[in-house]
Amino acid sequence: MPNDSVDALIIGAGASGAAIAWSLLETRMRILCLEQGGHVSDQQFPSRRDDYELARYGEFSCDPNVRQLPQDYPINVADSCITPVNWNGVGGSTINFLGHWVRLKPSDFRTRTLDGVGDDWPIDYQALEPFYNTNDANTGVSGLAGNPAYPDYAPPHPPIPMGVLGQTLAKGFNKMGWHWWPSDVAILSRDFEGRSKCVNAGTCDLGCAAGAKGGTNFTYWQMLENSGVELRTHARVREITVDENTGMASGVLYHDAQGRIHEQKAEMVVVACNGVGTPRLLLHSKSKTFPDGLANRSGMVGKNLMFHPLRGVAGVFDEPMKGHEGPMACSILSQEFYESDSARGFVRGYGLHSGRSTTPMTYALGGYGIDSPIPWGERHREIMDDIYPYLAGLTVVSEDLPEEHNRVTLDANLTDSDGIPAPKVTYRLGENTRRMLEHGEARAEEVLQAAGAKKILPKSDDKVWWRAGWHQMGTCRMGNNPARSVVNGWGRSHDVKNLFIVDGSIFVTAGAVNPTSTIQALALYIGDSIKTNIANLFED
Amino acid sequence: MASELSPQERKLLDGILDVLIPRNPARGIPGAGELGVTDFLIECAAKDESFNVAIRMILERASDGTIEDVRRIETGDSDAFARLLEQSYKGYYSRADIRAKFGVGAHPPHPEGYEVAPESPELMESLTAPVRVRGHAYRDTPAGDKNAE
Repeated sequence: MPNDSVDALIIGAGASGAAIAWSLLETRMRILCLEQGGHVSDQQFPSRRDDYELARYGEFSCDPNVRQLPQDYPINVADSCITPVNWNGVGGSTINFLGHWVRLKPSDFRTRTLDGVGDDWPIDYQALEPFYNTNDANTGVSGLAGNPAYPDYAPPHPPIPMGVLGQTLAKGFNKMGWHWWPSDVAILSRDFEGRSKCVNAGTCDLGCAAGAKGGTNFTYWQMLENSGVELRTHARVREITVDENTGMASGVLYHDAQGRIHEQKAEMVVVACNGVGTPRLLLHSKSKTFPDGLANRSGMVGKNLMFHPLRGVAGVFDEPMKGHEGPMACSILSQEFYESDSARGFVRGYGLHSGRSTTPMTYALGGYGIDSPIPWGERHREIMDDIYPYLAGLTVVSEDLPEEHNRVTLDANLTDSDGIPAPKVTYRLGENTRRMLEHGEARAEEVLQAAGAKKILPKSDDKVWWRAGWHQMGTCRMGNNPARSVVNGWGRSHDVKNLFIVDGSIFVTAGAVNPTSTIQALALYIGDSIKTNIANLFED
Repeated sequence: MASELSPQERKLLDGILDVLIPRNPARGIPGAGELGVTDFLIECAAKDESFNVAIRMILERASDGTIEDVRRIETGDSDAFARLLEQSYKGYYSRADIRAKFGVGAHPPHPEGYEVAPESPELMESLTAPVRVRGHAYRDTPAGDKNAE
């Protein structure tokens, strides 16, 4: 049975869906958001339990193929060296993300012009800057103003503590004469608008029970629901429907928690399902008008998948580093090797992020995102007693270049519980990225030694982290040329004039920073563009 | 199923666990067997038949639970051994009293968390001074979109 038509139908209640709903609120449109998962209250987060670490390997795993909750869809990753990770529910992956909140840099929007790789974005840093600032204020971002690696801006809250680990590494970077700065984080350093400041629990991936982490469950959604935005949970969209007469999107078909199919009409459809979920939905939305998938006349839907391949290097220090105290991923960040330098043997660059160390179980099982347990026997005892407490590490976060063979397609056999084809990820590490990671590992060793590490832990292999697929970008890229891109410079489909995409899939390049800050700034930018163009929104 | 372990089998599994994660008497840290991780494994086996089968295979291969015996099991059935190792680590380190031996709080992280003092403005100023002195650290970039695809 069809429901009453709405003005704006948003698919996905994660980072970008929440941000654009907030932006559109002032239009007084009737806004409906369909979300395949449900709410998770802070009382349900595992960090309130004694055995909280076990949840990381079960119902609160970042990997949907491990989690296998009713709202999760499987992902075929047999042809990928990195597996996508996510959360399906209100807040999306901001439920279990780590809150590292780094902006793209001006050069990230101009890689073709500057370095002859990737493509230039149809927008630039300056266009996004006011939306970064607005979103930082809405989210509650903490950091230190004056970072010389960026055009001037000031986070709204003071930085979170760097701790002994961050201070130690900062001194190492200073000895090397390299850039570093306290990380900007979507984590409160002081109480703000009913949310409590961070208690340094160190379990950001298990949901922030303090409400300090700026997941949209705590930021945008509470306000949006109070303002009349309808959020319909456990509503899994099966396909976006098309009016074959006009070629416009007419709404969606979705499954409720019992699997029943419903129709929802809409004047405008906004897709916010991230870099894997969005191409999956478009490719499955086939019709006479769009036999290869909705909005896919360019053939670019699903192509150019980019992650941020990661490798880590750890050093052993004389004093306990207390790495379990404080936000997991965020202490300090170096962008010394971010911009291109032809002498390095690769283009573009990477960041060195000081992740804190993990809790004992996670370390023993190989580290966060890695399935490679440490040795058993006497060696196990030595590692846990004499190394683990004294560890500080750096993560090399590399820029991935867009390559068409890295892609999301529909699996021919695997489906979710409603029979919708699962996404299949085909991804291999590019040679440029491989050289970048090797360079980064060598520099990380140098700075750890400069910081006083008495020993660098040997690498077990040259693989990238398996569960490093947090950042899913590029699969519905924006651009000016309809033959080479899926959406235009303000997120509107080239092919379907009332269809918008607002998530990480529209990134043209990946940069080498966590993307959520940019994803939400983009969603706000697109919302603003919709409002600016409201009088002739669906015209050429 | 593993929940029906005989006293001999249980003793053997305890011994294997103490080899996998041995005790550190100097610091009062127990081995996995003496901590009772076997009970955790039995619970896991009751919920997961494939793990139950793995435990059974290991017990059939095991003879005396010595280091040499464990090495032989690891070589002889690496998949079952890997599952045992993973679950043993989970069982051992999910114990709050063990976590505390490594300087990590025995309490759940929330709501208590950890007290970490913020850096003083003076310390932050001195640490970041060398970075600020070097100045502008990003690439000047042309505006516009003339090369955008």
